[in-house]
Amino acid sequence: MISVRHLTFAYPLTSTASLWDVSFDVPAGQFCAVVGPNRAGKSTLCYALSGFIPHFYRGEISGEVVVADMVVAATPLAALVGKVGLVFQNPFNQITGARMTVRGEVAFGMENLGVPREDMLIRVNEALEMVGLSGLADRSPAQLSGGQQQRLALASVLVLRPQVLILDEPTSQLDPLGTREVFTVLARLVEAGGTTVILVEHKLEWVGAFADRVIALAGGQIIADAPPRDVLNSPEAAAAGVGQTRYTQAARRARESALSTAAGALPVTLEQAVRFFSSRSVDEHIA
Amino acid sequence: MNISLEHVSFNYPAGVQALSDVSLDIVAGESVAIIGENGAGKTTLARHLNGLLRPSSGRVLIGETDTRTLTVARLASRVGYVFQNPDDQLFERTVAAEVGFGPRNLGLPASDAKFAIQNALERVGLADEANSHPYDLHVSQRKLVALAAALAMTTPIVVLDEPTTGQDAEGVERLGQIVDSLKADHRTMITITHDIDFCAEHFERVVVMAAGRILVDGPAAHTLAQAAALAQAEVEPPQMIRLARALKLDASPLTVNEFIEVWRSNRTSTRSADS
Amino acid sequence: MTSSFSLYAPRASRYHDLHPLTKLAISAAIMIAGAGLGGVWPAFAVFFAVALPLAIWGKVAISLLRAVWPIALPFAISLFLIRGFIWPGGTIIATLGPISLKAEGLEFALAALGRIVAMVSAFLLLSLTTAPDALMLALTERGFPPMIAYIVLTTIQIVPRFQARAATILDAQRSRGLETEGWLPRRLRALLPLVTPLILSSLVDVEERAIALEARAFSRVGVKTSLLVLRDTPFQRTARWLIVVILAAVMGLRFVPGIAP
Repeated sequence: MISVRHLTFAYPLTSTASLWDVSFDVPAGQFCAVVGPNRAGKSTLCYALSGFIPHFYRGEISGEVVVADMVVAATPLAALVGKVGLVFQNPFNQITGARMTVRGEVAFGMENLGVPREDMLIRVNEALEMVGLSGLADRSPAQLSGGQQQRLALASVLVLRPQVLILDEPTSQLDPLGTREVFTVLARLVEAGGTTVILVEHKLEWVGAFADRVIALAGGQIIADAPPRDVLNSPEAAAAGVGQTRYTQAARRARESALSTAAGALPVTLEQAVRFFSSRSVDEHIA
Repeated sequence: MNISLEHVSFNYPAGVQALSDVSLDIVAGESVAIIGENGAGKTTLARHLNGLLRPSSGRVLIGETDTRTLTVARLASRVGYVFQNPDDQLFERTVAAEVGFGPRNLGLPASDAKFAIQNALERVGLADEANSHPYDLHVSQRKLVALAAALAMTTPIVVLDEPTTGQDAEGVERLGQIVDSLKADHRTMITITHDIDFCAEHFERVVVMAAGRILVDGPAAHTLAQAAALAQAEVEPPQMIRLARALKLDASPLTVNEFIEVWRSNRTSTRSADS
Repeated sequence: MTSSFSLYAPRASRYHDLHPLTKLAISAAIMIAGAGLGGVWPAFAVFFAVALPLAIWGKVAISLLRAVWPIALPFAISLFLIRGFIWPGGTIIATLGPISLKAEGLEFALAALGRIVAMVSAFLLLSLTTAPDALMLALTERGFPPMIAYIVLTTIQIVPRFQARAATILDAQRSRGLETEGWLPRRLRALLPLVTPLILSSLVDVEERAIALEARAFSRVGVKTSLLVLRDTPFQRTARWLIVVILAAVMGLRFVPGIAP
């Protein structure tokens, strides 16, 4: 579904590349998380996958990005947006404000793409259903809470039925309830199958729980690309600024102090941590 | 300088009751975290601390002064308020000038101001960026500039509104160190935060709010263990408390180290019980 | 959470059901007639005989009066005081100590007030009964540039948030010790820390919003469809042309020397 080959990109008037020789493939239907410290190039990667680099942000680019069988650099943005959806941090700025109702806002993209009206009516209801905003269809977008606005932005993108959904820290400005709402929608989406999801996130517990695969980015380069359990607890990733859940930190501390000889990868999620700390392991050092 | 909220209620002009009979006493040097979902009244409460909002009923005392008797600008010498969005305040051409804005307004003598600015920049780790244009920095760094700008005012009380949003792992750790260093300086720290683990690791006292009221107010270990109250406030307990609970350990560890201690002593006792 | 700037008040009324351009034509006619016709009474006549009855039909009369009143009253008072009493020469109709009320001044004040009331009520009649997106759709269907229509609609929804942000910036700078009250030089010095963040952060916002717009294929070239369906009738179409013609005729007459003051 996604193929990136030796992608290197530098914004205009900068001396360092934001992305350097990045290569990876993502098969259809995979939930791939992208983690890493700030300024690692995660947002730049999101723009490169959705076509905003190079069509909106000029700069020095080399390498190739192919998404849904389209060469991104050679395909106009209007053709890409039907296949690749982009959701970013600030909920308010993603609501175009082109229409006065939630329903109108969701339909706006389809109107621009010339979708017949009968289809629009059905798809708007489906999209609102999927994000749990069905009851608010006639509300003004400006009256929604932050979490609701982010779900509206998501619905407006989902309604275009993208094959690839790219989310750049979609929950960073939301409270815990709003975060849970967004992740619930993502989980539902992944379960329904089909959509390839690329999610940039700092909230590693959620990443550990949802992602099939984690790509760690630091200094514009991929430093790890593996299932969550192998990336989110790796010392190299931690040294590069990826961060770890407290569960991982606790398990590492226990292992380092020889308090636990439980085998296997360090835990990332609560369930994994429970198993780790419950395991009957031999340690004569205590007692 | 103590803080006292006495039976504070507040209605927004549109009629929304944002605070209902809230009473809170904070002693100088305490570190307090206020948690709860959006709309619970956390920001409304925080804004009463530096006079941005005046109670509809009740009163707020900073030191012995009723906030109604001083303008916000005058209260700024006692309470440094760090807003959530740095872009709501940045306007100077260099980081140093920006950080110096507060001290200049407070009338600090030039040499004191210079020292305060340098100190603040070092504390947030941006001493090297003193001559950079704030907008050349990443937004997470701009947040640190805004923090430095408030710290440079050397107020006895500091209010932080969602300091960790948008920060990466290193940024959150740096913030933790900053909070700890401010505690060591006996500054009173009040923070609004959604990051419950950050809250557990750096704040002695936690206030849980919902629907304009305080649900629970007490030491962190005690408050964060109140599962029902946290659920009502739409807040998840910290990871270590969740883990302890899942492992049926009778404790509320606030940090990784505390958890290890609890787990270790539990295994020791069960092992002794077994043998 | 801020509400949008739109005055639109949905009602189950036949006036609401009219095509947006019909309502636009009617309001334009009221505005032009109210402003263009000379004398004291034509403007008030337009208000009482045309605008108000239509507002009643549209079930928005109370909202309209409630909105006109706070605008009209200050104007009325200042016009009355300034023009009514300060008129060189002229016919005195009443005396209040050293100052006297002049008939010409009163006439002028009333005429000006009438014009203001007519124009404001025309604008309110349109805003209260027409959803902004319906109006923009009607215009873009007839060739109005979509970008301008978009700007109008998005501005309506953004302005309250802009105002909220300006208030937040004011709070943030006050919290850093900025005094905003007091004598003028101090207030002027306070401008830069208040205006600069507003402009800078708006620039950041504009970029993100532009991306959001692109992500919805706004600049796609091709046939666009619409969720909203506007109902028009031959009667309304004819009526609109008639309004334009009558208005042109009346205005033409107005400017022919010799007829009407």
